[in-house]
Amino acid sequence: MSTENKRPTLRAGAGMSRELILLGAILVTGLFFTLLSPYYLTQANLEQVLRNSVDLAILSAGMTLIIIMACIDVSVGGILAVAAILIGRSYQAGIGDAGVIVVGLSAGAFLGAVNGTVVAKARVPPIIATLGMMYIFLAVLFLVIGGRWIAGLPDGLSFLIRGSVLGIPAGVFLIAGVYGFSYLLLRGLRFGQHIYAIGSDEKAARLVGIPVDRVKILTYTYLGLLAGLAAVLYVARLRNVEVNIGTAIALEAIAAVILGGARINGGVGSLLGTLLGVIFIKSMQNGLVLIGVSSLWDTVVVGGLLITVLIFDAVRGRSRAREGME
Amino acid sequence: MTALPFHLLRHRFLLLVLLWLASLVTVSLLSPYFLQASTIPYFLQYVPVLGLLAIGQTFVMIGGGPGIDISVGSMLSLTGVFMAWLCGTLGVPVVAAALAALAFGGLLGLGNGILINHFRIASLMATLATFFVYGGLALALTDGRPVTGFPDSFAWLTQAGWFGLPHQFLYVFVPVAFLAHVFLSRTRAGNHLYACGTNAEAARLVGVPVARVRLLAYVASGVLAGLAAVVNNSWFMSARPDAGTGLELLSVTIVVLGGTHIFGGEGSIRGTLVALFVVTTLQIGLELAGVSQAWQLAVVGLLLILAVALGQSLQRR
Repeated sequence: MSTENKRPTLRAGAGMSRELILLGAILVTGLFFTLLSPYYLTQANLEQVLRNSVDLAILSAGMTLIIIMACIDVSVGGILAVAAILIGRSYQAGIGDAGVIVVGLSAGAFLGAVNGTVVAKARVPPIIATLGMMYIFLAVLFLVIGGRWIAGLPDGLSFLIRGSVLGIPAGVFLIAGVYGFSYLLLRGLRFGQHIYAIGSDEKAARLVGIPVDRVKILTYTYLGLLAGLAAVLYVARLRNVEVNIGTAIALEAIAAVILGGARINGGVGSLLGTLLGVIFIKSMQNGLVLIGVSSLWDTVVVGGLLITVLIFDAVRGRSRAREGME
Repeated sequence: MTALPFHLLRHRFLLLVLLWLASLVTVSLLSPYFLQASTIPYFLQYVPVLGLLAIGQTFVMIGGGPGIDISVGSMLSLTGVFMAWLCGTLGVPVVAAALAALAFGGLLGLGNGILINHFRIASLMATLATFFVYGGLALALTDGRPVTGFPDSFAWLTQAGWFGLPHQFLYVFVPVAFLAHVFLSRTRAGNHLYACGTNAEAARLVGVPVARVRLLAYVASGVLAGLAAVVNNSWFMSARPDAGTGLELLSVTIVVLGGTHIFGGEGSIRGTLVALFVVTTLQIGLELAGVSQAWQLAVVGLLLILAVALGQSLQRR
């Protein structure tokens, strides 16, 4: 009674084409923006895109695991915001750089664990649980911040964003670290098999003795931890914390994961695809700003992309099912 | 022990009424301003916008699938802005603009319905995406600023009343709630909706067009969001592009609290109505007690999680 029989559903070969499509889409839109704006394909701009992508990329790795598990988390923006605000307050209380990292990570992990517990133990469907928690997190944010910005924080952590090693920006190392570790979790350890098993068929996973509740809580905790890390990077990048921080990041993360080939019904998903999805979304947003489209259109564009991919997947899934019937 | 939950479930309506009374008492204790005759019209003024959305949400959830419409608030924002644009910029008469807003809402709902029932995209994913697209469009098309330009006569709908009963309650909400109740409990189509939620396969076998019935539930949700937008516009005499923020949470909470099953097949308008009264009482009470809006929504979020968790634990036994 192992989970080995879940493995064939991963269809490693089928996932590859999605990543190639995304890569093509990134290149085509990149070419489009290069033709329209001379500034797009400059080193300064590309580094800017990378810096702006780091927090989303890190968060999306955790979201990939959650969606493979057939769950969802719309509250990550709230977790990021609460963690960021605690980091800001800790700085103001005189805690040092290492200390605030610990504060941010543990706050994120704790809130993620709360989400996971509500989902796993109280059996509240993830969308309902995290929708409710989102507003609770926002209230906590409101309580701590009191409607004002926290600005002028120390820049002790800015090397995480602006620094570079051997000419490679620090963000690349961070992303590589998080994705490497997530890949290990997902493919190298029993834990990852459990995530796939729960996402493919939760009832069966329970029957074969997988500790479903514990895996769910741990996965939500991991996403929370990454949201905490994203908060650290957010503060390092902007050195302030504003009231509406993190409002759209849940959508962007979910869109990146779905764009990357994960299926919303669980059991399928690719970390590499997610990373390409993040790059696509962020370079698209950057390009649109460069050609003069207001950033108010960001959510429309990302939401529209998400719908397009959902329809694309639906149509492709249907034709594939038809082939299977014959 | 097994008899007790069943007993509780059967008397869910009674429990809800008790919960409402309890919330009335709590709120009266919290704020000395609540227990006054003037609170009633104030209360009834609050009810329609949220109530219309909750009725639409009830349809969607009963139809199953599982069905959820996270985009209701965004549909309200976008149709509100659309109506203000018709009235203010194009000079369309207000009644025609209101009817156009209903049709536009229906169109947005149709978009959801097609994504969910034609392309078979999970409802939470599809309406989460349209939540952002519709809401984002409302913000982007207006640059985030409220749109004005309604004729003064438009205020009649919400700024006047009949013996203390606001017009929008008397002429909009009561008829809609009544029709919705009759539809669900007395008509064939209503029965079909329940059948889709209880057992879609069985419903299909006896000839119920499941996909079409569910699609129409989403259209209804859109039309009702359009109607709510009309009421909301009259209330503020302007269309705010973020008017619907948080309303998805409130409507889902009300419907679930009112006993509608999150996976469909169960639910009633009267349950939704009492839950609507509970949530509205809490909101007004907390507001009178000087509690900020962020905390009001947090209370509602907590209520939502507790209501679903309770329902789940009752069912599991």
